[in-house]
Amino acid sequence: MAFSIPKTTYTGKIKEVALGKGPKAITVGGETSYPFHLFEGEMPHPPRIAIEVYDTPPDEWSEAALEPYRDVLGDPVAWAKKAAAVYGADLIALQLVSTDPNGLNTPSDQAAETAKKVVAAVDIPVIVNGSGSHEKDAELLRKVAETCDGLNLVVGPVVVDNYKQIGAGAIAYKHTVAANSPIDINLAKQLNILLGNLGVPDGQIVVDPTTGGLGYGIEYTYSVMERDRMAALTQQDERLQFPIICDLAKETWKTKEAKAGDSPLMGNAAKRGVLMEAITAQLLLLAGADVLIMRHPEAIRLVREMIADLMA
Amino acid sequence: MGKHKVTFQPSDRHIFVDEGENLLQAAMEAGIHINASCGGNATCGKCKVKIVGGAVASPMHAGLSEAEYADGYRLACLSTVTGDVDVDIPLESQVDKSVLALKGDRLAAPYLLSPKDIFQLVQGWDVDPTVFKRYVELDPPTLNDNVSDLTRLTHAIYRQHGINGISSDFRLIMKLSRLLRKADWKVTVTLVQTRKGYKLINAEAGDNRQQNYSIVLDIGTTTIFGQILNLNECRVAACPDGACDGATIFALAEASDYNPQISYGEDVITRIVYSQKPGGLKKMQETVVASINGIIDELLKMSRIDRSLVSHLVVAGNTTMTQLLLGVDPKYIREAPYVPTANLIPPVRAVHLGINVGDHVHIYLFPCVASYVGGDIVAGILGSGIFQREALTLYMDIGTNGEIVIGNKDWLASVSCSAGPAFEGAGIKFGMRATRGAIEEVSINPRTCEPMILTIGRVKPIGICGSGLIDAVAELLEAGVIDQKGKFHQNLPTKRVRKGEDGYEYVLAYKNETRIQDDIVLTEIDIENLIRTKGSIYAGCKVLLKSVGLGFKDLEQIIIAGGFGRHLDLEKAIFIGLLPEIDARKFIFVGNGSLLGARLLSFSKELLKETERIALMMTNLELSNHAGFMDEFIAAMFLPHTDASAFPGVHKRLRAGREAV
Repeated sequence: MAFSIPKTTYTGKIKEVALGKGPKAITVGGETSYPFHLFEGEMPHPPRIAIEVYDTPPDEWSEAALEPYRDVLGDPVAWAKKAAAVYGADLIALQLVSTDPNGLNTPSDQAAETAKKVVAAVDIPVIVNGSGSHEKDAELLRKVAETCDGLNLVVGPVVVDNYKQIGAGAIAYKHTVAANSPIDINLAKQLNILLGNLGVPDGQIVVDPTTGGLGYGIEYTYSVMERDRMAALTQQDERLQFPIICDLAKETWKTKEAKAGDSPLMGNAAKRGVLMEAITAQLLLLAGADVLIMRHPEAIRLVREMIADLMA
Repeated sequence: MGKHKVTFQPSDRHIFVDEGENLLQAAMEAGIHINASCGGNATCGKCKVKIVGGAVASPMHAGLSEAEYADGYRLACLSTVTGDVDVDIPLESQVDKSVLALKGDRLAAPYLLSPKDIFQLVQGWDVDPTVFKRYVELDPPTLNDNVSDLTRLTHAIYRQHGINGISSDFRLIMKLSRLLRKADWKVTVTLVQTRKGYKLINAEAGDNRQQNYSIVLDIGTTTIFGQILNLNECRVAACPDGACDGATIFALAEASDYNPQISYGEDVITRIVYSQKPGGLKKMQETVVASINGIIDELLKMSRIDRSLVSHLVVAGNTTMTQLLLGVDPKYIREAPYVPTANLIPPVRAVHLGINVGDHVHIYLFPCVASYVGGDIVAGILGSGIFQREALTLYMDIGTNGEIVIGNKDWLASVSCSAGPAFEGAGIKFGMRATRGAIEEVSINPRTCEPMILTIGRVKPIGICGSGLIDAVAELLEAGVIDQKGKFHQNLPTKRVRKGEDGYEYVLAYKNETRIQDDIVLTEIDIENLIRTKGSIYAGCKVLLKSVGLGFKDLEQIIIAGGFGRHLDLEKAIFIGLLPEIDARKFIFVGNGSLLGARLLSFSKELLKETERIALMMTNLELSNHAGFMDEFIAAMFLPHTDASAFPGVHKRLRAGREAV
C-alpha cells in the first residue's frame, strides 16, 4: 500500500492584512495551514522581509552589521532608499530609537517628520517602531499616525499600556498596529481583544509576539507562535487569527556571540553574525512569522532562498 | 409574612420583598440603578424616586421640597415597603431598557446569595456536643462506703447517666475533694468525648447545665473570625443585632480581626520565612494568640458570658496557621516536597498555648490534608455537607489562599492556589472587612457613571469590602469605565474618574459623604489585585476540573465560601469571571465555610469520625509544579476571561454596552 502523508484538518484562516499604499503595497496573512504545509492548505502570500533603518547612527552595532550601510548612517532617507533599491527590501522598518527618553529623547514632532520623509522617499510599505518606552511611544506613534495620514503604515510596538492612544490614532488615520505582548499567548490574545473593543478593524492588526534571539529565548517565542497558530487554525480562536511580525534583528545582533570579534574558538565574526540572524529568521518562519524585520543583506539573501525553496 | 410586589418604572421590572424592606435595597436587588452615594444614610439626597401607586412609609427630608413631597417624591433609602408599590425612577438615574434587558432576571433565579447554614446544608445529625455537661447528686461517704471521691463521682455518673469508662483530668482531681464537699455533693460535671472514650474535665458546684458554651475560631491568613456558641440550645450565643437563627447569622454575629501576623508577611510563605529567624516562631505564636484572646474577650463581653463557662474550643485553620498557633516549626511546609508535621493533631490544652480560658478547656483542631490544604477546608467540606451528597460538587473557599475541592460523598480532590487577600479587603486602598460602614453593594449608571452604593448598617461609608469590590469592578466594566484588563478609559463624561496618587481611580464616595476624612476611591492597582485574585481562583478550578477529566458544565452544584461580606452577587461575580457562567441555581453561598464546619462539629460529636474521614479521603494536587496552571492563570487575568466562549452571556452584554455608546 502506498504511503499517504497524514494531514491536519484546519478550521480557521489567518486574516489578510494589507500594508502600505500604491502599486507596491503588499498583503500578508491568509494562511489556511501551518507554515509551509502547502500539502495541507494555502499560503497565498509568502513571508516578507523588512530591512531596518535607524533614525540615528547606531552606536552598538558590530562591524559586520555596519559595513553594508556605512555610507548612509545618520541619513535615514538615504538608508531607506539603499535598503529598497540595493538590497530589495519588501518593507522598510524605521526604528525611531533616538526618541528613547533615556537616550537622545528626540521630540515626537521631529521624529514624526523623519518618518514622513522616509515614507515619502520609498514606494514600499513602512513599519515605524518607537523606542519601546510605553509613554513616549503613545505620544510619538500617535503623532506619526497623524503626520502620515492614510499611508497605511505599521506602527508599533503597541502594548497594553498604550494601546488606547496609539489604537485611536490608527483608527483615525488608517494605519496598522503591531500588537506587542511579552511572549505569552494569552496576553497576545487579550491585547487583540482590547484593540478590537477599541474599534481597530481586524484588517489593521498584526501581532508582535516579542522575539528572543538565537540562544537567548528563541524557544519561548517559537512555542508561543506555534501555539498561536494552532489556536488560530485548528481551534477557531478568532482573536488570534492575525499575521505575525517578528522584530528579530536587534535581538540577534545584540548577543555576545554576534558582537564578539574574530577568534580561533568562534571563527569569523561577520559570518557568525550573519548565520545567527539567518537561523533565527528561519526558526521564526517555521513557527509562523509573516513579516521579519532583518538587518544584514547576506542573512536576508539566505532567508529569501529558504522561503523560495519552501514555497516552491 | 406576606411578600409585597415592588414595580420599578419605566423599566417595568419588579421584585417581591418582605414587609419592611428598604426601597433602595429592593431596587439594588432588582438590578435597578438609583443614584446614591452616602451608603443609604439619607445624607446625599440623591436617591429621589416618585411613588406613583401603592404604599411606602417614608418621612419628609430636607432634600425634598414640600411640593415634591406632596407630588409623591421620596428618598428611596428612607422608604420602607409596606404594601405593593409602583416606583418611578427619575430621568438621571435611568438606564437604557435594552441594557437592562440583558441583566439577569432576578425573579427567575436568585442572584443575590445569602449564606446558608448547617441546618440547611447537612442532613441527619443530632445535637449532641462533644463537650457536654451532666448534673449528678452523690451520696456522701460513710464509714461503710468510703471509696475515693473520684470513684464516687464516676460511679454516680454511670448510675445516673449510663456513661461508662470515664478517665479523668488530673487538674480536676486536684480540686475535687473540696469542691464536692462545698457543693454538698451536688455538682455539674463536664465530659468530653475523645477517641478513647469519655474524659471528665471539670466539675462545678450545683446545677449549671444550662451554661455550656463553646468558642469556634477560623484562623485565616488574613482574618481571624470567632463565634461563641450555646451548646445546649445549638445556636450562636453572641449576636449584637438580634436575629441569630442559623440562616441569618454571619459577620455581624461574631467577632473578627485581621491576623496580626500580617505585619510579618502577607502570605504564608513570608510568615514561614519569618518563623525561621531567631525568636520568630515564638513571636508568631504569641501574636496570633494575643489576637485570639482579644476576640475571646470581645465575644464574652458581647454575650455577657462568664469565662469559666466556656468548655470547648474548636479551631479551623490552614496548615501553616495551625502549626504557627501550636508553635510547631512550619519550615518543611515551604520546602519541596512540602510536608507538614502532622495532619491529625490530638486535642491540646488551651492554656498551654496561652489562650485565656479555663484550664480544663481543650482545643480541637481540624485535621489537615497537606501543606497547603488545611483544616479550614476540611471544616468547609464538613459544614457544607458535601461529604454526604451524591451530587458532584465544587467547593471554593475564596480566601488569601484559594482552596478548591471537587467531589462528593465517595471521593474528594483539592488544590490550593495563592490568591491574595483582596476579597478580605486587604491590599485594597480603601478595603476593609465586612463590618459596619463597609460598602457592600454597588451599581453604576452606564450613561452618567454615577454610583449607587449601599453600606453595611446603612451608615456613611468608611471603606469597601469584598462583595462591594466584586460589584464595583463588574459595574465599572459593564458601564465601560474600565476595559477588560481593568484599566480606566479616559475622556469619560464624569469627574469621578481621575488621576490620583496611585494612577487612575474612580471616586465611589466624596469626602463629605463618608465617615473618613478622605474620598473613597477604587484605584487601578486595587482592580489589578482583584483581577489577580479572581484569576488565580478561576485557574485553580479549571486545572482541578481538567485533572479529573471534567468541566464546569459537569458540575451539579457549586458551593462558595469566603469572607466577602453578607451576600454574594452571583451575577456580578460571574461578570468579572470569578465564577463560571453556568446555571445560577447551581450555586450556594455559605459565607465563612470554616466556621460553618467548626460550629457543626461543636454541636455534634458523631461528626468527629466524618471529619477524619474527609481529611483522609481528600487527594491533593500540587499546583506549584503543574505545567498548565500558569497558562490558565494568565488566561484568567482578564475580565471576564481571555476565552470569550466560556462567558457568552457576559460578552453579549459587553458588546451591547459598547454599541450603546
